[in-house]
Amino acid sequence: MTTPLKIGARTEGDSAVLSLTGEVDVANAAQVRDAALKLVEGGPKHLVVDLGGTDYMDSTGLGMLVGLLKRLKEHGGDVVIAAAQPRVKRLFDITGLAQVFRIYDDVSAALKEARA
Amino acid sequence: MRTKTPEQVEIRIPRRAEFVRVARMAACAVASQLDFTYDIIKDVELAVGEACANAVEHVADESCDEVIIRFTIGDDSLTMEVVDRGQGFDPERAGEAAAGDDWDEPGGLGLLVIRELMDEMHIDCDPSTGTCVRMVKYRAEQ
Repeated sequence: MTTPLKIGARTEGDSAVLSLTGEVDVANAAQVRDAALKLVEGGPKHLVVDLGGTDYMDSTGLGMLVGLLKRLKEHGGDVVIAAAQPRVKRLFDITGLAQVFRIYDDVSAALKEARA
Repeated sequence: MRTKTPEQVEIRIPRRAEFVRVARMAACAVASQLDFTYDIIKDVELAVGEACANAVEHVADESCDEVIIRFTIGDDSLTMEVVDRGQGFDPERAGEAAAGDDWDEPGGLGLLVIRELMDEMHIDCDPSTGTCVRMVKYRAEQ
């Protein structure tokens, strides 16, 4: 069975945390992108994407994250990845995106490093 | 070693993103008929999802309104074909794009994922008949 996506959002100082629970794929990647852009609009420069609850992601989801990274970097910010499950982490590895994103084991470590 | 006529399962989905999950669920169900591990079944699911997403996202021809997913269960392998009637894309260019910095290139990341997860991948693009992404996963690692 597929798991419907739930999107959580919060801010902590100049960082924002986008928590994704469920699947991120071609059907909902645009929804995630819009939620992320709304979260950082005029505010936080750094975005932590919490993938702890994401059990499936496809390349459309990855491409969306790359788009967010490009956009935030243009404004002096960053996108960092937290708590990716093994199968999702593997997707970053096989596409080479593990070398593009900073990836952390948990959200607190990602928040700390996002500000560094 | 048993030898029998390959069994086939074929489904057709509307060429819309929300139906890619139907194809993925079918891929899991079919792959479960073989003695694949859970991880391989999930790889098959992702590969079929990527091929369907390419068909949904990167076919400019609006008259192409469905995607066909065909599974063939052989003695030692599962073959998956994802077929659309669009004009397709240049598979070599897409593969190269994924290896570079242009992550937004149509189909690039998805094809890279399929290549990594499956044992074989072939793409046939013909403007008159459409595009077929053919993927093979063997029962045992080759």
